[in-house]
Amino acid sequence: MRVALAEDGALFREGLLMLLRAAGHEIVGAVGGGDELVALLATEQADVAILDIRMPPEPDGGLTTAERLRASHPKMGLLFLSHYAETHYLMRILEIGTDSIGYRLKEKVGSVDVLTDTLNRIHDGEIVIEPVLAKRLVERPRGDKKDVVASLSEREMDVLRLMAEGRSNNGIAAQLFVTPKAVEKHIANIFGKLGLHTDTSEHHRRVLAVLTYLRSQRTEG
Amino acid sequence: MASALRRREAVQWVRRRLLERQLHDGASLRISALALRLGLLRYQSPRDEDDWQHRIAELQDELHAVLQELRAVSAQIYPPLLDQAGLGPALRELVDQSGADVEIVAGTDRFGPVAEGAAYFAVAECLAAQPAGGRAVRRVTIERAEQDLLLTAIGVGAEQVGLMLDQAYPLGGTVNLFEGDTPDSGTITVRIPCE
Repeated sequence: MRVALAEDGALFREGLLMLLRAAGHEIVGAVGGGDELVALLATEQADVAILDIRMPPEPDGGLTTAERLRASHPKMGLLFLSHYAETHYLMRILEIGTDSIGYRLKEKVGSVDVLTDTLNRIHDGEIVIEPVLAKRLVERPRGDKKDVVASLSEREMDVLRLMAEGRSNNGIAAQLFVTPKAVEKHIANIFGKLGLHTDTSEHHRRVLAVLTYLRSQRTEG
Repeated sequence: MASALRRREAVQWVRRRLLERQLHDGASLRISALALRLGLLRYQSPRDEDDWQHRIAELQDELHAVLQELRAVSAQIYPPLLDQAGLGPALRELVDQSGADVEIVAGTDRFGPVAEGAAYFAVAECLAAQPAGGRAVRRVTIERAEQDLLLTAIGVGAEQVGLMLDQAYPLGGTVNLFEGDTPDSGTITVRIPCE
């Protein structure tokens, strides 16, 4: 895969480059800020751009740069790496796009397998969300959603957590060692209990519906 | 007021000691243990590929745990989200993580790192001091009133005034309590001058 990288911390940038090369990816360029990445991608083609959230232009250059890149290269995947897994950033990322997009903790992409799996899923059009954050969202929903989430069975909670990570039906089935048909049934039950109506075949809209549900409060200021 | 100032100073020193203790018992200890485990890895070569993979994965999990502990310490010094995104997002994250049922009403206005820091920790202290099943903050509103940051907390009582005052008074701020008709309907307003 052709990968472009923007990260202002030289130590982490060099480490990630070594890992990307070891995983067999082609690096089309590695730069220290958002403006440099936009300039680089004006002439170079990449399948996925990896961006640090907190980099120049300050304060969150990764996000503003990604908005520009989504407009100019709508097919290119975007992977955000951060030192923090925050719902605030997740919601801003999902405003930029809900397909071919990912958000992971920097230290969690530290193996060839995980890094390649993350990049492949993004390249295939999926949303990839840091499991630590997905778990927190599912286990600690906003106040008035607690009772509804508590009414889910243990297996339904597993499915909801994997859905919040952005996994597809097949991905969830593989993780839980069940058939995709069984996953579909669980998802229908979950949506019924949460009172959500959505086209379950539409993967991105489904993830967004789940995340918005867990995150929304009675009134948002 | 002099006693309030002294109490605040005392709280600051207690906080410093707690952070030092948290670093010592948490991240430092884990890193020391990691050094030992790396030493062991050099001494005992892995039995096979699976064993090797397993041991590396364990070390990486441990590093993630160290980083999570360092993040928790950073958040108590100055929450990164407060600096990056302001009071609304930072307070919502705080509420989510505490599991409390508090509504945060805040726009995108910014008030500078000092007033924002004071308002954030005033709310954080209130949430931390909340007795289980006792009266609890229900809603926090952040807005601008002339040159000041105005924080309004609903569902509080007299016992929270001191915590708010600790944060506001050193910055020339003021705190007012309006007792409600029922014990849990009190309102505290905090005005903190912005720089």
